[in-house]
Amino acid sequence: MQTSIASDASQPHPVRIWDLPTRLFHWMLVAAFAAQWLTQDDARLLDYHVFAGYLIGTLLLLRVLWGFVGTRYARFRSFAFGPRDGWRHLRALLAGRHERHLGHNPAGTWSIFGLLVLGLVTVATGILTLGGAKQLGPLRGLIGYARGDTLALVHKYLAWSMLVLVALHLVGVLLASRAERENLTVSMVIGTKHSTATVDGVPAAAPVALILLLVVAAGAWVYFRGYFHSQPDHPYLPFTLAPLAQNAAWQKECAGCHLDYHPSILPARSWDALLREQHEHFGEDLDLDDNSVQALQQYALSQPAESHVTPLAWKIDATTPVQEVPLRVTETGYWKRRHKDLSTADWNRTKRFACEGCHLDAAAGTFLPGAIHVGTPRTAVGGIK
Amino acid sequence: MNRRRAALFALLSACGAALIVPGARAAAVDDLLKRYGEEGAANFSADAGEQFFDRPFVEAKSGEPRKCSLCHTTDLKRTGKHATTGKAIEPLAPSVNPKRLTDVRDIEKWLTRNCKWTLGRECTPQEKGDVLLMIKGR
Repeated sequence: MQTSIASDASQPHPVRIWDLPTRLFHWMLVAAFAAQWLTQDDARLLDYHVFAGYLIGTLLLLRVLWGFVGTRYARFRSFAFGPRDGWRHLRALLAGRHERHLGHNPAGTWSIFGLLVLGLVTVATGILTLGGAKQLGPLRGLIGYARGDTLALVHKYLAWSMLVLVALHLVGVLLASRAERENLTVSMVIGTKHSTATVDGVPAAAPVALILLLVVAAGAWVYFRGYFHSQPDHPYLPFTLAPLAQNAAWQKECAGCHLDYHPSILPARSWDALLREQHEHFGEDLDLDDNSVQALQQYALSQPAESHVTPLAWKIDATTPVQEVPLRVTETGYWKRRHKDLSTADWNRTKRFACEGCHLDAAAGTFLPGAIHVGTPRTAVGGIK
Repeated sequence: MNRRRAALFALLSACGAALIVPGARAAAVDDLLKRYGEEGAANFSADAGEQFFDRPFVEAKSGEPRKCSLCHTTDLKRTGKHATTGKAIEPLAPSVNPKRLTDVRDIEKWLTRNCKWTLGRECTPQEKGDVLLMIKGR
């Protein structure tokens, strides 16, 4: 389906340059990239962030494939310009001598290849960060928590580099649009540019675009389908860990009065202090006998924060100074930092539910990202009403 | 364990509990009443226990009102609610919650803990005996 437009050569006429898959790729990438900045560094939205990351990775890989088998202007061969070409083009553009390319110009090529490479590396470091800092996702366990935290920084710097490149790309589009007297952004939407020469346009490749859309839609459905089965007392949790060990004495003596706070939320020294001071337990005399205390101690010390059984445990252990003995998780610097944006209204509304007011997996002790519903106090979870 | 075996197991456990638990409860309460008697209490009364259960006390430091029924409600067959944490408290009445009053050590632990919180002191043997007798009849 070759669109050939051969009208009066002196009259500018529209020629299709960008096929439908290329345009779809471009705008989906824009949307996904924007989503990443909206969801970054927010544990509540981590599953959306991760999905958008997978989407970006898939889009970029398919774009690389399309660079070999796609239509003329989408192929890498049509814009195989070196850095020197790009520099020359840029200098000419700034000097007001813009050389027109129907497809990508040599400077634009920089942003294409730059964003392809940076994007793929950013996605890769993102998946590694998830597998390390949170011990979640397909690469869980490949690296440890500490290295995961380091990679999170690398991931962040790469994302910022991408943003800089996107900004340069936008400036380039603006300058080239002015020089060519053609709105290049519109061209990326409708696919055509104007030409006075007799040029063969490219086919729309609509079936390929449809397949791309279907792949993305199917991926989204597979990824998010759990939310459709979510029920108030069995909420869907996008991330899960293997269930943590439970303990009968702990259930009876501790969870009889309050939330089943898992030992991993505080360091061993905190549990030591709490059990030692059991006769003055936040205004109550627990009056536990020695056997009970011993059983509780044994369980608490089998997996305190130092055991790193959850990402929270790791963070509490790594960030609580050894001279501090927090008796509540809310006394830890980590807790305060993570909850500093919680509004007073939300806090007042949810605090009587303890952690369970927002953390759907609080009773399980996992405190994972994606399991947080701020401001929607839930009932009947773990017996708290 | 498959489902049928689990059902059989549950049935047998329930039968066993039905036979053993009331005996254990009678033994535990009798045991404690006898001890409270030796400590000087006498003539335990379920009516006195019921009154005590709803008697208001004032917490010395904060001045907030406290009483047993604040958490357990006055209807012991209902689920109560922990005053500070909001956690549900299973009914105290053995008629709806057969696990109650079956373990001496457990009863004493709760009496010590809850008397101190509610009254600001430990309960007297008389108070404890009255309340136990009252709960046992529910």
